[in-house]
Amino acid sequence: MKILVADDSKAMRMIVVRTLRQAGLGGHDIIEAEDGKQAYEIARAQNVDLVLSDWNMPEMTGIELLKALRSSGSEVPFCFVTSEGSDEMREQASQAGAMGLIAKPFTSDAFGDILAPVVA
Amino acid sequence: MSAIDEFEEAREDLEALLIEVLGSVFSEEAMPVWDDALPPGPIVSSRLAIHDEVDDSYTMVEVRTSAIVARVLASRMLLTADPGPDDLLDAVGELGNIAGGNVKSLLRHSCRLSLPLAEMTDDAAAPDVDGVTVRAAVLGQVVELTVHLAGDIEGLTWPGSASEEVVETPA
Repeated sequence: MKILVADDSKAMRMIVVRTLRQAGLGGHDIIEAEDGKQAYEIARAQNVDLVLSDWNMPEMTGIELLKALRSSGSEVPFCFVTSEGSDEMREQASQAGAMGLIAKPFTSDAFGDILAPVVA
Repeated sequence: MSAIDEFEEAREDLEALLIEVLGSVFSEEAMPVWDDALPPGPIVSSRLAIHDEVDDSYTMVEVRTSAIVARVLASRMLLTADPGPDDLLDAVGELGNIAGGNVKSLLRHSCRLSLPLAEMTDDAAAPDVDGVTVRAAVLGQVVELTVHLAGDIEGLTWPGSASEEVVETPA
């Protein structure tokens, strides 16, 4: 399984990958992107199976990334991992087609609860 | 009611937020402190702005800590024994980003969060601003969170397609 992790912080990308492993969801191919635009290009070129994306990023935000992917016909499972977890943003994410939103700071349990159904 | 009034009323929430964020990112117990200040020496800070789209005001969220704490944080986040200066800025920038996102969630109306700007300075003196400051200790060192109305938001950038556009100071 190819998992794309998009976050402008290298430290946070590493934490996301580590937390996946701690949640028992490790052992997959991880591809990293530093912003939404790069994530979009990778997702389109490499047929990824899951996108874990920050919301606030340079070049293209996470929600712009999700909408661009859906507009292009991609139905790849998409989950936000972001520092903001307001009801408004959760609603926006859901309406755009995200499977969930994990708010930072997070636990491995949060990853397991939301991602286990799609991470084999 | 201004954003700062809201935060003054929510001081306990800010303290709880700082404790929770520090406890999570350091995997260490964090405790509130009231009289302790940052130690002399290099300081690593992260600042970002919250733009209130209702009244077009800007609230600044700043996280400051010693380079010692920044080094431990970067080491733990990046799993490296010898983090470089960019690693310290990345780690504290992300700490500020998490704090800023959670501070934004305390506001009741529609707001937009800038990207964090992390810097290292030699000045441990607290910023001379009219705002709310809460402090917590982790690993025996102080971490400071200040929320204040923004007079200077130069240099900050916004996420998305406008990120290249440097924020202009409001008139």
